[in-house]
Amino acid sequence: MTNYLIRRIIQMMLVVLLAALFTYFLFNISPGGPLAGIQQQQQRLTREDLARLRAQYELDLYWPFRFSRWLIGLPNGPITIGGRDLFANTAVGCYLPRDEQIVIQDGQRVVTPAGCDQYVYLADIPELHPAIRSSNGILRGDFGRSTVIRTGQPVWGEMMTRLPATLELMLISTFLSFLIGIPIGIYSAIKQYSRFDYTFTTISFIGSAMPTFFFGLMLILVFTVFPNLLQDQFPWLPKLPPGSRLAVRPYAVAEWLPRVQPGTGMDRFLHLLMPVGVLTFFYMATWSRFVRSSMLEVMRQDYVRTARAKGLVEKVVIVKHALRNALIPFVTVAVLTIPGFFSGAIITETVFAWPGMGRLYYEALNRSDWPIALAFIFITAVLTVFATLLGDILYTVVDPRIKYT
Amino acid sequence: MTTAAQSVTLKGLAQEEKTESQARIIFRRFRRHRLAVISLILVSLIFLVSLLAPVLTPFERDAIDLSSKSRPGPPGTIDMEGRTHYLGVDHLGRDLFTRVLYAARVSMSIAVLVVLISETFGALVGAIAGYYGGLVDLAISRVIEFMLTIPSLPLLLILSAIFLRSDTVLPLPGFLSRFLSALLLAPEREVQKVVMLVLVLVFFGWLSAARLMRGMALSLSKQDFVEALRAAGASDARIIFRHIIPNGIAPILVSASLALGGVIVTESALSFLGLGVQDPTPTWGNMLATSQSYMFQHPWLPLVPGVFLVIVSIGFNFIGDGLRDALDPRLKR
Amino acid sequence: MKRFQLYTLIAILLLSVLALGACAQPTPQVVEVVKEVEKIVEKPVEVVKEVEKQVEVVKEVVKEVVQEVAVEDYTTPHPILSDVRVRQALAHCIDRDALIASVYPYVEEPDALLMDSFLPKSHWAYKGPYDYPWYDPEAGAALLDEAGWTLGGGSVRTNANGDVLALKFTTTTAQFRQTWSAVMVQNLAACGFQVLPNYAPASWWFGDTTGLSRRDFELGAFAWVGQVDPSGRTLYACDQVPLPSNNWEGQNYMGWCNEAASKAIVAANNTLIKDDRISNYDIVQKEFAADVVSIPVFQRAEAEAWSANLQGIRPDANEYATANLHEWTLADGGDTIVIGMTQEPDSMLSLVSSMAAQRLVDRPAKGTAVTTYDYDYQATLQDGLSTLESGLATNSTVQVKAGDMVYNASGDTVELAAGETLIDAAGNEVEYDGSSMVDMLQLVVTYKLKPYTWSDGVAGSVADMELGFNFDCDPESGATSFITCNAMLEKEFAADALEVTVTWAPGYQGTEYFVYPFNIYPAHQVLSDGRVLADVPAAEWVTLPEIVETPLSFGPYYITEWVKGQSITLAANPHWWGGAAATPNVIFVFLADTNQAVAQLINGDVDYLDDSTLGAGAEVQTVIDAANATGAVQYEISGSSTWEHIDINLFTK
Repeated sequence: MTNYLIRRIIQMMLVVLLAALFTYFLFNISPGGPLAGIQQQQQRLTREDLARLRAQYELDLYWPFRFSRWLIGLPNGPITIGGRDLFANTAVGCYLPRDEQIVIQDGQRVVTPAGCDQYVYLADIPELHPAIRSSNGILRGDFGRSTVIRTGQPVWGEMMTRLPATLELMLISTFLSFLIGIPIGIYSAIKQYSRFDYTFTTISFIGSAMPTFFFGLMLILVFTVFPNLLQDQFPWLPKLPPGSRLAVRPYAVAEWLPRVQPGTGMDRFLHLLMPVGVLTFFYMATWSRFVRSSMLEVMRQDYVRTARAKGLVEKVVIVKHALRNALIPFVTVAVLTIPGFFSGAIITETVFAWPGMGRLYYEALNRSDWPIALAFIFITAVLTVFATLLGDILYTVVDPRIKYT
Repeated sequence: MTTAAQSVTLKGLAQEEKTESQARIIFRRFRRHRLAVISLILVSLIFLVSLLAPVLTPFERDAIDLSSKSRPGPPGTIDMEGRTHYLGVDHLGRDLFTRVLYAARVSMSIAVLVVLISETFGALVGAIAGYYGGLVDLAISRVIEFMLTIPSLPLLLILSAIFLRSDTVLPLPGFLSRFLSALLLAPEREVQKVVMLVLVLVFFGWLSAARLMRGMALSLSKQDFVEALRAAGASDARIIFRHIIPNGIAPILVSASLALGGVIVTESALSFLGLGVQDPTPTWGNMLATSQSYMFQHPWLPLVPGVFLVIVSIGFNFIGDGLRDALDPRLKR
Repeated sequence: MKRFQLYTLIAILLLSVLALGACAQPTPQVVEVVKEVEKIVEKPVEVVKEVEKQVEVVKEVVKEVVQEVAVEDYTTPHPILSDVRVRQALAHCIDRDALIASVYPYVEEPDALLMDSFLPKSHWAYKGPYDYPWYDPEAGAALLDEAGWTLGGGSVRTNANGDVLALKFTTTTAQFRQTWSAVMVQNLAACGFQVLPNYAPASWWFGDTTGLSRRDFELGAFAWVGQVDPSGRTLYACDQVPLPSNNWEGQNYMGWCNEAASKAIVAANNTLIKDDRISNYDIVQKEFAADVVSIPVFQRAEAEAWSANLQGIRPDANEYATANLHEWTLADGGDTIVIGMTQEPDSMLSLVSSMAAQRLVDRPAKGTAVTTYDYDYQATLQDGLSTLESGLATNSTVQVKAGDMVYNASGDTVELAAGETLIDAAGNEVEYDGSSMVDMLQLVVTYKLKPYTWSDGVAGSVADMELGFNFDCDPESGATSFITCNAMLEKEFAADALEVTVTWAPGYQGTEYFVYPFNIYPAHQVLSDGRVLADVPAAEWVTLPEIVETPLSFGPYYITEWVKGQSITLAANPHWWGGAAATPNVIFVFLADTNQAVAQLINGDVDYLDDSTLGAGAEVQTVIDAANATGAVQYEISGSSTWEHIDINLFTK
């Protein structure tokens, strides 16, 4: 088991590193970048201005060096061994790139190939990229500084301000979806092809088939916009707050209710209603389907049939034999929701203006704030591999027949 | 010689009979899942109707009704020539009914293409991994594991941002692009973007099929009949294609039909985030996403593609559900 | 059997190699510089120079002899678009009212958004109407017939050679652009044009080495943002055509070179006399209308909305709504105004931010020296605009010789040497011969501020102004451009007054010379680590919470709290020089999605949505309907300073 764990952990580290490298590379080739559109801002920018701006986003360095600076904070200057600086004149980037130029000279096409008019050397790094604005490397716990979303501010701090909101939303909706989804799944399995089964199968399929933004906007329409537009006809209709995590000043939900003060439990509850509703509906669908099929699977097994044949009460059979075994795969899959607690729900958070991680990531992606997007992907990847490992280990715990060597 | 031939035909006949009866059993079992049958009929119906799109509607896909001053217009809006827009016109003044029909073709084709390619590819890769074992299996399993580790929606967003930007990146063979253009009833230029999207979705789509097939192949390759085949001199390719894959196809079929619904929903999510198939090529997803800003004003505008999307997606799910029950050999009812 | 396995392995390997190969950028070129390493570290600048020389030698120059007359990219006239009749026909065939109606169905008077020049009608430099080709498809058809593009049997025009009148139209994927361009495509099809729309992602279209900046279009639509100063030199002058040979500098993407217009636009940007400027802009606008190199489609509509409870809003096309936030009140006597925004500011250090959301918070919560209502300037903290008329500025003729610092014709401040192009005192472009004396105009301006007090109670001092001049001109500050900084030859701060006198380089005729040029920072502020702000290196400022999150303010409000992702809370600044703000608390909340913002407005959760949040999309209709239904919401739709246009590329590769 120990050997297995060590092997797995080494593998995991490799996988995470590869994932980071892969996404970093993708960002590198993706169009746009933080400087897109800068030339459309109707002002004269010289080549030097552009070069300086590029350097501010570290775009002057070649991407493998940029990646390694992001990962481990190196190179941050020439390597000093015994008082001598090594590799000081190694080019690690290009400060003033030059595009391919084609000029006509004496009726001839003269092609000057793309190249570089001024390279960046290791020795230049401390000056061009001062330590105060550089990352120490994500492996050393420094997630770097945001470039666009929160210019110059640490990524870690930014993410930590978003984490509580995402945790709150995800934990509550996951918990609720378990609470509702599992019993439905079990009951559907027991009464397979009954009216109950059909109804809830349909409902859960709707849950997974309905795009969340569509469902979310429908909820806002029904619970916020309509009650407001119909104030004259139905003044008693309650108006739910359509989004945000907390209100900033007292507000009235309905005239027959006292005004809600911002920051109170009631305020939190009201703001949670719709986003949690959407997510719970969505997850519940998945879980009830999962439990139903693994229940069905187990109920076909010989030992359940044996238990039935022995004349045990159906309830006992289901609870003691079927349910316990059916929940084994469930536990191991449920563990995989852990990364979601961190990464949140991109679309739901956007629709409901929920100040969570998913929204931050989407904004970072849209506006090319690579440090934030990368940190997000990195942490999600780490959590995913750990959750997978945890799932595998849990498997051995709940099902002693399985052993890893 | 004759005897051998005879025995082969006899064997073939027997097999045919057997498969036929098996198909009948499966069909009988499938029929028992009433909702699956209804779904199958409904989805096929929508698909058939979408094939007749140009016949069923007098409007062109992108034609803008310049006469209608109210854009979007409610169902029943009548244009200059007295033709009725049954479902109204969209924000540009294009006939909504027409676009929903054309979108059905695109959306369903995308779903089918993504699933077809990714399940085939996944099954093939999984079979190779499981059959050979050893280094090949190790390499492939690691790749799959690696891909599963990367958070998919975030990466999907990056990928579509990269690949959907330009229409000149992909050198499609002419016949393929002509075929797709005829299938989607869209100009070849638009087909490019659709193909891009399909490839982006396939990028993550093949994983589950590969895992499923690998497991099946792993156990099959240890079985005696495979050993016997090998001893008889059958080539690896033949064993894989004729024996391993057909034997492991049942769970793949189920996962494929479940995936069909998922693809349609994923496409709409990408569209919402601005990274799906672009207008004017209609898909239910992008029709839904572009009309979401009209949600409070003209709710029917997102509702029309929304209803289709949800129904077909649920339909695929039910069919998958039914297939699962039908193909499960342990289930004897 | 092993073979199949082997092939599979090889295939996998090959694929990964391919993938890696595709990733690989040109490998960093290691240039061997044989030198003592220690020395190099001491003087990195020298090393760089050294290397440059070597690169010069290495630079490979490939000469290929082309049979035909070789031409540079984008110097071959476009076969279709170089004909002015075709361009006029294009303009005649586009029904711009229909385009406006397609994107802004709720705008009742589309004419107000139409443009016949590159300036909005309410701009001080607009002296129209100009004779721009309006919607007249018959006139368009006639022009096309005349130009040799005739309708055969089909619906698309062809010329005598059988070439099809097909044009590529490029713009972004933005929903609203796709909407009006769909109508435009149909308009043009009716005239016999075949238009192939290409909706490219903004990142490609506006990328710094792709799309527009490489002139990779035939018809290309995008927007310019109009400003108080019409400038336009980089847009319409002959020497501003981006070409491979000038490293794609300039923004004259059309390749428009009209002698008269080019001369006039240069002249307009090199004089401070408003009447001269107006007459020069008039020339450019006339030529613009005659040559039809760019079709101004319409001014974008912009809508802002507020709850009926809120009073004191002053909508303006050019100034941010919150510039008069201190005058806003709630009719029900409430003490907290809530403003909803879809975007969140990135940093309160305005120098490094260009977001509208940042400006909306910045203007009330940090203070302004001037406001820009009605496309003009009004002094606020600045003690009167330092115009020539006010006596605070002089523009006198000086003689310059070789070696003097001057502001040259292309906008750089350089040491005068032979070959430099200058604009002399008479406004003529002259090339310097290296020896003679040239008469040039030199601005000397005194900028004064009113007495003010920071929100921490400390009185403002001339040191704040000095810090602003130093920081804003520091290359490490993060500023994008230093043209103004470089043009400033001398600055002299008064010892005991809030006053500074700047001597600008001869030739610098910045049209906004009378506006206080830089930001003002609290030089006295002590940071959490004990340092005084004035002593902190510029590179660090962008990381200081005291600067980027809760800066001190000399404006009507100051920031008390910034909850990331949720809200920024402002409180009235008790020390504001202008008195007291009408409402003591203001909260900006960040709402991500426009639908969400509208829902919150209707629900009374927010009081105001600015035009960058509400925009001009379908959501506006929701607001209008809500206003009509309940009267709880009010709105204002106006032409914004941003205008959509279609640039016509006169040249092809």
